Amino acid sequence: MLEILKKTMPFQVVSDTMLRRIAELGKRVAYDKAAIIYDAGDSAGDIYIILSGKVEHTLEPGVNARRPVQLLGAGDVFGWAALLEKFPHRLAKAVAIEPAEIVRINGDDLLRLLESDPDSGDVVMSRFATMITRDYTVPDLIAQMRAIHRKLHSSDIQGMNLTMYRLSLWLKSPRPYLMLIGFGLFLSFWYLAVEVWKLPRFREMPGLTVVIKEWLNPDPSYGLSIYTAEYYQHILVSIWRVTQAFVLASLLGVPLGLFLGWSRKFKEYVFPVFETLRPIPILAWVPLAIVMFISTESAVIYLTFLASFFATALNTMLGVESIDESYVRAAYCLGAKRHQVFRHIIIPGALPFIFTGLQISIGVSWFSLVAAEMVSGQYGLGYVINTSYTMVRYPTIVIGMITLGFVGYVTSAMVRILGDYLMQWRVRELALGGQ
Amino acid sequence: MSQEDKLKSKIQAGEIVVSGVSKEYGANQFAKEVVKDCSFTIERGKLTVMIGPSGCGKSTLIRLLAGFEHPTAGTISINGKPVTGPARDRLVLFQETALFPWMTTYDNILYGPRARGEVTKETLELAEFLLSKVGLQEFRKKYPTQLSGGMQRRAELARAMINNPEVMILDEPFRGLDAMTKELMWEYYSALYEENRRTNFFVTTDIDEAIFLADRLFIMSNIPTRVRAVLEVDVPRPRRLLDIVENDRSNEIKMEALSILHEEAMKSFSRGSKAAADFVEAYSKRVAKT
Ligand SMILES: Nc1ncnc2c1ncn2[C@@H]1O[C@H](COP(=O)(O)OP(=O)(O)O)[C@@H](O)[C@H]1O
Ligand SMILES: [Mg+2]
Repeated sequence: MLEILKKTMPFQVVSDTMLRRIAELGKRVAYDKAAIIYDAGDSAGDIYIILSGKVEHTLEPGVNARRPVQLLGAGDVFGWAALLEKFPHRLAKAVAIEPAEIVRINGDDLLRLLESDPDSGDVVMSRFATMITRDYTVPDLIAQMRAIHRKLHSSDIQGMNLTMYRLSLWLKSPRPYLMLIGFGLFLSFWYLAVEVWKLPRFREMPGLTVVIKEWLNPDPSYGLSIYTAEYYQHILVSIWRVTQAFVLASLLGVPLGLFLGWSRKFKEYVFPVFETLRPIPILAWVPLAIVMFISTESAVIYLTFLASFFATALNTMLGVESIDESYVRAAYCLGAKRHQVFRHIIIPGALPFIFTGLQISIGVSWFSLVAAEMVSGQYGLGYVINTSYTMVRYPTIVIGMITLGFVGYVTSAMVRILGDYLMQWRVRELALGGQ
Repeated sequence: MSQEDKLKSKIQAGEIVVSGVSKEYGANQFAKEVVKDCSFTIERGKLTVMIGPSGCGKSTLIRLLAGFEHPTAGTISINGKPVTGPARDRLVLFQETALFPWMTTYDNILYGPRARGEVTKETLELAEFLLSKVGLQEFRKKYPTQLSGGMQRRAELARAMINNPEVMILDEPFRGLDAMTKELMWEYYSALYEENRRTNFFVTTDIDEAIFLADRLFIMSNIPTRVRAVLEVDVPRPRRLLDIVENDRSNEIKMEALSILHEEAMKSFSRGSKAAADFVEAYSKRVAKT
């Protein structure tokens, strides 16, 4: 089921954990040949995902679909009327034209789940919107998509940018407090398990107080704390490597993805190779990278670059493919030339997907950086963690880990802020579902 | 170009000739014929309205006129030149045409002239004029998602009108608007048309809209579609909304058109089309009322 969900338009980029939780909401139902799954006008509670079989989906004339009749197969999602604001009823008739196995997910449950993680929730909902426009050819309806959260009113977001909007939303939600409680619980467990209860597996671990003392120590026993210049050098080296890899991955990945999505021919040549290389784990590249590059520095950057590059290119390509053909046609009709369509329609149209890709890209680049630095390199946080292990400086390992988490978070926040800045036009779409 | 040719091209400017056009989708036993042996001429400087049951193939015809798709048989020419692809001699507002969500209303409206590098002082003035005409002056800096459905349609219309094309083709531009907004739009649109009298080809499923706007009315047969009847709407301009109910000539034409549409709907009703069934139901209610 996870595999199928991953292939659907709305859930393509959702993390595996989220996907599993979504899958848990689903009920598998089998339909016989010619069974009517629902009819126009029925009340709409669930959305449907086809696991196997074929379904004929006929939108009623009133919704102005460009192509009212669709034949749906495995991996297709229908019944999205359950996610619309003003339509608690079905807009279409769905009939199984072969025996079909279908997963049903309650729309309210799904929204509630998405609300628990509004960032991926936004992505899922905007992908639903894309699907309704592009696959079901009813762009008029996306204005009625339900929004993920509706604590702010439209007047509140006038003149506010997307980042501020997200921030204020976050501060008004219970999430910051839950987050603090979460951290509190985690830290006290750490403290108690290691230093008070001395649980069997934890006895060798550096305790909370030990780590903090070492971290804040002007004269650290293992040589690394916020008072040593070396600490910042490691951080800077790691950031610099990630920056180079990320910039390189974006500079190559975005154009590659744009062309993959833009030219069918190009995709036919390149995509199969791309898809063969993409799943190879970073660690499998290590030996080759060392052979390929004379300097370890280039090898580390190359390894860091790889996964980011694939994530960026893939998402950019999906972004171009998600663009409604009618925007392209409208631009041609208004007299645009091919290169103008590319600049004015393809690039901005793909931007939401591109930034989803960049967000993933910066995440995986930290991930691969640490792997690469553990294998080779002389500075950097991954290197700190690895050498501290061989030299039995356990508190330093933890300092390295915490720093890594923090720096990684900040860089990914920066990417998001940049994306928000470039996509002001999505404020309302994301905020209020475009009501 | 000789003087005579020049004259000829002037006379033909804005004329659309469709002759013997058919369009099939799919191949072999899956082939679906949507347009069959359809011929008509759209005269220059007239507002020709095409009405037909929904799903009959009107939008398909529009895509053929736009040049994004090609007929399986027959030819289409505009100003005497055969249509081979999209070109600037005609502006098409597709049924699904939407504003670009990443541009403000103002940028959307100016998109055509800017893309063609034709922004002059007059264009900017025209933009202001159109913005005020469609009541969007205060919304120029807003993005499409911040506009209501009616505002979006008006902005789309302004985005098309600013190009002042010789031929403008509109596919159900006022679909999905509430009755009040729709009537306002009819008034805007017919005023804009009366001002410069370019060739306009307007597709709709709404009979009142058709008769209020049209100089000439094409009634389409059911799928596979062709022109079933041509009615001249000889109601004087400028027209008033009240004419729809009060003007006898309007009502005469309306009943004539409806009876033809009804026949078409009955044909496909026996074949089980839901759209047609809806239409028959609506129609019999209407007859019962009058
Ligand atoms: N690309 C296509 N492939 C197959 N069938 C199509 C395609 N485009 C339109 N059709 C079919 O042609 C018929 C007429 O569609 P359309 O021209 O949109 O009708 P109208 O605009 O009159 O409502 C519909 O039954 C539709 O399903
Ligand atoms: Mg249509």
